[in-house]
Formats: sequence, C-alpha cells, structure tokens
Amino acid sequence: MADSSPNILLSVENLKMHFPIRKGFGRKIVGHVRAVDDVSFSVCCGETLGLVGESGCGKTTIGRCILRAYDPTQGAIHYQNGRGQSVDLAQLQGKDLISYRRELRMIFQDPYSSLNPRMTVMDIVAEPLRIHRIAEGREIEDRVAETLRKVGLRPEYMRRYPHAFSGGQRQRIGIARALVLDPRLVVCDEPVSALDVSVQAQILNLLQDLQSEFNLTYLFISHDLSVVEYLANQVAVMYVGLLVEVASTDELFQSPKHPYTEALLSAVPKTVPRRNPQRIILKGDVADPANPPSGCYFHPRCPYAIDRCQTEAPALREIGPGRKVACHLAEQLKLHGVETS
Amino acid sequence: MNTSPLLEISGLKTHFFLDEGTVKAVEGADLMVQHGTTVGIVGESGCGKSVTAYSILQLVESPGKIVAGKILWQRPEATGGDLLDLAALKPNSREIHAIRGGEIAMIFQEPLTSLSPIHTIGDQIVEAIRLHRPVSQEEARRQAVQMLQRVGIPRPEERLDNYPFQLSGGMRQRAMIAMALSCHPSLLIADEPTTALDVTTQAQILELMSELQNDFGMSILLITHNLGVVAEMCDQVVVMYLGQVVEQADTVTLFNDPKHPYTQALMRSIPKIGQRRRGRLDPIKGMVPDPYNRPHGCCFHPRCDKFVPGLCDQQEPPLRKLKSGGMVRCVLYGE
Repeated sequence: MADSSPNILLSVENLKMHFPIRKGFGRKIVGHVRAVDDVSFSVCCGETLGLVGESGCGKTTIGRCILRAYDPTQGAIHYQNGRGQSVDLAQLQGKDLISYRRELRMIFQDPYSSLNPRMTVMDIVAEPLRIHRIAEGREIEDRVAETLRKVGLRPEYMRRYPHAFSGGQRQRIGIARALVLDPRLVVCDEPVSALDVSVQAQILNLLQDLQSEFNLTYLFISHDLSVVEYLANQVAVMYVGLLVEVASTDELFQSPKHPYTEALLSAVPKTVPRRNPQRIILKGDVADPANPPSGCYFHPRCPYAIDRCQTEAPALREIGPGRKVACHLAEQLKLHGVETS
Repeated sequence: MNTSPLLEISGLKTHFFLDEGTVKAVEGADLMVQHGTTVGIVGESGCGKSVTAYSILQLVESPGKIVAGKILWQRPEATGGDLLDLAALKPNSREIHAIRGGEIAMIFQEPLTSLSPIHTIGDQIVEAIRLHRPVSQEEARRQAVQMLQRVGIPRPEERLDNYPFQLSGGMRQRAMIAMALSCHPSLLIADEPTTALDVTTQAQILELMSELQNDFGMSILLITHNLGVVAEMCDQVVVMYLGQVVEQADTVTLFNDPKHPYTQALMRSIPKIGQRRRGRLDPIKGMVPDPYNRPHGCCFHPRCDKFVPGLCDQQEPPLRKLKSGGMVRCVLYGE
C-alpha cells in the first residue's frame, strides 16, 4: 500500500458531467442536462463513502464517471494506483484505461438485469479474468471457485444459469464478478435496494466482511439512509447534481447542517410506532437538472429560505474538520438530526 | 359506528396450479379490518401478501384459484348493508364488479404500469366514476378535477388532460389515489404504494393517505415490506410467512414485544436509522423455501432459532389467541 500522506485513494475535483439535449433537424444541441455539476470529494483507502440523494440527482452518474463509463465534461479524478502513483482517470483514454478497470469495479442495483441469462455463473465470473488475460484453463476455474466461496456461494453450482438463483444469490454472483480481479475500489450502486429485507442484511454483512478482509474501498450509492448509516464512514448528500453536505456519518445523522439533509433524515419512516415528531414534508418535486432554479437549487422547497437564497448560489465551504456544507445559513440554523434510539 | 368488522378473512387458501406442481401462495390467511382503521400486512416477497389482496377483489388470475376460506365483506348502507362472502362470488359477476372500485378500491406499487398509457388521467378517472355512479360526463369530469385537487395536484384542470408519462412518480401515485378514491370506497387496498418512490416523496404520499383517511373515514389495508412504514401508518399489523399469517397484533405491541420468532428475526435484521452501530446486522439464516416443497410442520422451522426438534417439524401449529389480544402461530405460546 502506498504510504503517501493521508492515504486518500480517490479524490474527485470539480467533476462535471453534462449531457447534451438534442432536438429537431440536424440534431442541434438545445441545452444541457447538468447531471453532475462541479462535484469534489475524496475517499480514504479502506473506508466507505456513502453518496445519498433522491433519484435523478446524479449519484449514479458520478459512479459511472469514476469508472470512466462516461467521459466527464470537465474535472479531475485523481486515483492513487497500486504502485503509489497518482493518475488522473479523467484524462486517460483507450488502452491506458484497461489496467485501471481491474482495480475499479462496480456492483449493480438490479441482480435480475445485470447478469446475462445466457451465460453460466462460471462464464459470468470468469469473463473479467479472460478479458484481462489474468488466468487460463484450469486456473480460471480455480479462481472462480475461490471467489464464489468468498461471497458465500457453493462452487458446485457454477455450471448453472442465473435463473436458478434467488435475488440474494444473484447479487452475490454480481459481487463475485466484481471481486474476481482483486479490485481496490468498488462502486456499489444501490446494491441492496432490489432485495428483500432479510436478504438485505446478509448482503450488507457480506460487503462489510469483504471490506475488512481485502481492505476494499467502497463508494456506496444509495437512497436508503438507514443502510448508509450502517455502512459508511463518511456521507455526501447530493441534490440536483451538486453536493450540499459532506460529513462523517455520525455528525451528519446527529446534527445535519443543510436543510435538505434534515428533510431527508426526517422523511425516513422510523420503526417506532406512532411517534413521529414534527416531520418535515418537502413540497413539490426535485428540480429539473436541465433547467435548475436560480440561486440555491433547493430554495423553492426549503422551509428556511431567505431572499439571498434566490439570487446567490451557496458554495460548498468547510465549516469544520472534514465537514462541508453548501448553505448560506449553515451557522445560524439549528437543525434536527435523528435521535439515537 | 358499526361494531362488526368491515372485512373478515378466515382460512383463506389461494393456490396456483402449475405444470411443475401446486404453489400454495396463500395457505391459511386470517385477518380482520375494522371500520376506519389501517391494517398492515408485512412479509418478504413471495409470502402471499399481494395474492391475499388480489383474492379479496377476485383478481387472482388463472391458474390461480381460491380453494378454501371466507372473505366476509360488510356492504355499506347505500348498497344494502348486508354481509357478503366475496370468496364465493364469480370473478366476473355483477356484484364483484360493483364492489371493485366502488366499495373496495386498490392502488398499486408502480403507477406507470398500472395506469393505462394510452388514456389521459382524466379519462381514466371519469371512466371509474361513471362505471359506479349515474352521473353525466360533465359532472364526472367536475368530480375528477375536485379529486385531483384534493390529492394535491397543482392545476388539476390541465393535468386532467395529461398522460401518465407526463407526470412525475409522486404525481402519478397521487393521480392513482385520486382515481381509487373517486367513488368514496369504504376500504382502500394499497399494495406497496410507496416502494417505487423516493423517501421524501414517500413521506408526502403517506401523509396524504392518512389525511384522506380522516376525511373519508375509510379503512386501509396496507401491504408493504417496510417495517418503518407500518410503524407510522398502521393500527394493526399482520405478519405473513409462506402464505400463512404467523402473527397478528396491534402495532405498538408488535414492535415492543414481537412474539413469533419470525417477527423477532425480521425486526432484528433491518438496519434502523439512529442506531449509530457499525456492528454486524443479524440476518435471518437461510432463505425462503421453494414454494413447491413447503417444509413439513411449521413452515418457519428450518430457519427458526427456537426450533424444537420433534415438535416444530411434525405438526403445523394453529393460530392461537394471546392474552394481549393478538394472535400467534407458534408452539412456544401454547396453553
């Protein structure tokens, strides 16, 4: 492991991803969807960063930019590779990227659509090994069997097709496919939201075990705050393509500093019957990233908005060690977090 | 106020006859919905919660069939006020058509797939109203606008001429609720109404449902796998496992003192917000068994941590009444 100062594995700087909207004759560009608009954050080696927000806020786009499934419009993605060198993934093209695709892997949300139904488990998990020419012949089979064992599946089943497995088992196959190349960073895109409650617990435990065993770093994308609280060391909250708050998990849940974070926390149904202290119900819908409101994007729904919020967009600024927030009123507001039960 | 229950299901069995064998999707469901209350049905996928709901409205599709049990429905005064066994009705009889949508309405998980994509929201609501009420087209349209306004859709006159795809997820679910409530049903069945929505939208929809319940005085049968939603919305909870009701209690008792080992395990396995605990979760061991071969005896025994050999795997325990008023299906709570 590289011993370069505070062991930051990945640091994203001013990342922007704009998708053009094309219309009419000649497919002229008439506007841009600002899916990710100037986002910066960093993840330490062996830790988990939770990325939360409503659907359409750009969480998945960030994940895909890091894996370079998309070409970011602007910005840098500094990654500390296995030999201790820092590379900007956003600048790499073509062949140079291939070696990084071994170290950065992804786990997908829906275990039903992310596995090819015409391939056996063996083929699915072995495909990355073949593509990267890491193993051949018998060795492939051994490595697949070993990886399947790691994720809690029986290697005897590797000749079967995905349809023979339940949702939880399929998600384990997806995890095995990600882990077979011994990655360093895994982007987990809502890995448990399509699973049943009891299976969810098994997969979350598995992810945690694998992390401590192989010193994995996770970027954990989720809209479920209770899951994020359980897994993440740090949480970044997104709203319409922007980060609105970054903090350590405990601080964020105890004392949120952005009104949007407060509303998100308050919206989660609590498992305590009929005790529901003043829930904040946000009015209206998420802003359209192709046509966002002026000033702070959150102001039309914010219960604390003042005139300044309508005209001036707040920058993400540091208000404490490791604590950033994008709100003009961060210091004045007394916001409620989640009570510890 | 009527003291007899609005809906009483006893010994309901709905089976699916497939080539590979018989799937006993519902195998002994008993539950009761009182006037003006909310009853939640919880359980993992495949436990028969949706099939129970579909059975009430006779919407179970072939090869599924209700093979046993009673679904007693207290009809409102306006339509006679008599007690009707819905399980005995034919799926296309006149009575069930009058009840479906008129007296019992249903909303579904994903409004985009359950609303017609080729008709406007307005047309669909107007159709529902005119099917059950002798009103003119104009009057029905006026009522539809009123309903949309009531569920919090801005500019309802314009929205009436929108197609479902033109609305956001939350707005679609609101339109769906407006349609369901347009004939003032006495029972609303909500099948995972907020599962496809974001937390903030979920909070809006749940708030709206409790508000409307107060206004219209209807009962709600809420099907969900989210225990948090149950804790906030329901008066009574029914826990199902493999087609059977394993526990039934009022919400406060169920959350503070769950009796059945399955309920206990389910409560332990979920990450709860505000725990600040980065330890391990405590999952239920094993998996839901294959529906073609249900375990012998108590169907939860292979996964149960309080399994008594020679007893649990031999005979199926009956649903017993407890002193607290709840019911539980487990040998641990025998006389």
